[in-house]
Amino acid sequence: MKNTKRIALVAALLVMTGTMALTAQTTYKIGYLPSTVGQALTQAWRIGIENALKENNNTALQSLDAQMKAETQVTMMDDFINQGYNAIILQPIDAAALTASVKKAEGKGIHVITLNTDTLLPHAACVTMDDYGAGYLVGETMGKSINGKGNVAIIQSPPGAQAGVEREKGFRAAMAKLYPSIKIVGAQNGLWNKDKAIEIMNSFLQVNKDLNGVFAVNDNMAEGAMLAAESAGRLADVKIWGFNGQKSTLALIEQGKITGTAYTNAYNQGAAAAKYALDLLKGTKKKGAKTEIVTIAPFAAMKDTVAQISAADRW
Amino acid sequence: MSISAVRRLILIGLLIAIGALLSLSSPVFLTLDNLMTLLQEASQIGIVAIGFTLILITAGIDMSIGAVIAITAMICVNFLSYTPLPAYLFIPVALGIGALIGGFNGFFITHFKLPEFIVTLATRGILAGLALIIAVKDELGFVKNVFIQDEVFLWFGGTVGPVYIIVIVFFVLAALTQLFLKRTRAGANIYATGANPTAARLSGINTDRTIIGVYMFSGFCASLAAVFLSARMMTAMPEFGIGSEMDVIAAVVIGGTTFTGGVGDIWGTVIGTLFLTLIKNGILKVGLSPYIQPIVIGGLIIVVVVADVWYKGFAEKMAAKAALRRKLAAAKAKEAV
Repeated sequence: MKNTKRIALVAALLVMTGTMALTAQTTYKIGYLPSTVGQALTQAWRIGIENALKENNNTALQSLDAQMKAETQVTMMDDFINQGYNAIILQPIDAAALTASVKKAEGKGIHVITLNTDTLLPHAACVTMDDYGAGYLVGETMGKSINGKGNVAIIQSPPGAQAGVEREKGFRAAMAKLYPSIKIVGAQNGLWNKDKAIEIMNSFLQVNKDLNGVFAVNDNMAEGAMLAAESAGRLADVKIWGFNGQKSTLALIEQGKITGTAYTNAYNQGAAAAKYALDLLKGTKKKGAKTEIVTIAPFAAMKDTVAQISAADRW
Repeated sequence: MSISAVRRLILIGLLIAIGALLSLSSPVFLTLDNLMTLLQEASQIGIVAIGFTLILITAGIDMSIGAVIAITAMICVNFLSYTPLPAYLFIPVALGIGALIGGFNGFFITHFKLPEFIVTLATRGILAGLALIIAVKDELGFVKNVFIQDEVFLWFGGTVGPVYIIVIVFFVLAALTQLFLKRTRAGANIYATGANPTAARLSGINTDRTIIGVYMFSGFCASLAAVFLSARMMTAMPEFGIGSEMDVIAAVVIGGTTFTGGVGDIWGTVIGTLFLTLIKNGILKVGLSPYIQPIVIGGLIIVVVVADVWYKGFAEKMAAKAALRRKLAAAKAKEAV
């Protein structure tokens, strides 16, 4: 008697796990793996992805946080692969380091859409901000606003961070080509974060008595530079530019504290990546031999243009 | 049963329990692919943890392991980019440099009687900076993470059948180190040095040489892990390994090696490493916020250390009580006579 009960219980459990597995298989499982979940940009991407997936009620989204470490991100890619996800939306922390993982996923028939950083071997698509082009745009606009002469400095991304490096290269190219009499007097790594940028900006201000412009390769660092310039009483003399266009920075541009930022609609970018994945899964789009590059155009948000970005598009 | 045996049984029990829970919650947990990836993950921490165990047995600590990983990765990628040397020639050189860095740590600790923590923290800083300096740069001077395509080098990231090579190396290294610890005089010297350095010195053990030796071994292990990591990722980054100290310390401490020295072994570390990997993977699988992961690992270290201290005290009290009971019984028996 006892035994039959036990057998029945085990059988019930087996059936339950079986049905759970079955129901799980009928939906598309999509993984979202940004460099870190704790940033306005990656959160906006996620919202964009969720919005695009909402129209399809047979998708399940899971996001993981790689905490800015490439090793962790590779581990998490393995986890998505082993769990049989159908598509992965990935913001590679490093192009080279994630290439093997992306290749492995694609080899198992999992579509990989990269965000902002392309890996080195072909995969489904890379939906990217135009980092180099937007960096160039910042350089061009800043140079014009200081009349093509003076001293500028750069607050850099960590070494090896492709997106930040491309922005910086674009900026430097614009300066070299368009404004040969502008001098780049310093470039320091601000680790993407505000605190470090304050420290760096302070040293820039101390060393350079006439600093005319600063380009921080993301908005967090631009906000840090702004705080440092403000407390040194030199905010009016220095044009500060950021990159990304997060909500808080746009507000500071409206207040006239930050000069401008290269804004990209991150909601649209996330949604574009998710739509691309869905199209591939449904077969309405076919994968090419090369990675398809989808570029989301940048927009120079300044005091007179920032109003064009509607409240719904601010992230 | 001894304290450490009970402790190990509990840990193995927990390991199985977590494994069972994970396999119930996820149908893919018990797939070959997943288990192999987990073992690969564990081996990556485990190889470093083996070297670290020896250091902890001597009551030392090595904060430079992460930075040794970074510098070794950079050395390898420099060889790959700028020399035609084949990987089987430069990898031993890189491992040798890792051991040399450890020797440097050991030298400063023993000859200048400096605290282990300070010395290794300082070398950690120096190495992390050096890794950035020697990193391969592009034409504009930006750090370039080289995409490694050298087949011999990439072999280290490969598999034999379904098993990753790193897993085989991990278990072989673990077995050899365990044998060394338990079956050789040099191994016994490590325990003696950790348990009571003064007594060890007085009984004729060259404690300085022992300490330099374990730091060299730790440097070697970290370098070895770096080769596997770079091969797996097909690139090397100057921040590789930095910050991984926490996982390594956790694995070793969970495995039963204590900070006070003289206690611990490699099997414990192997189990601790597997345990930690399962916990980390479990947090991912259950879908908990990744912010919880360091909290869980930190919490585990505290729980394990407290439980160890408590259980040791409890066992000693029990032993004392038993001794007292025996004494009383003996006294009673005498009276009866």
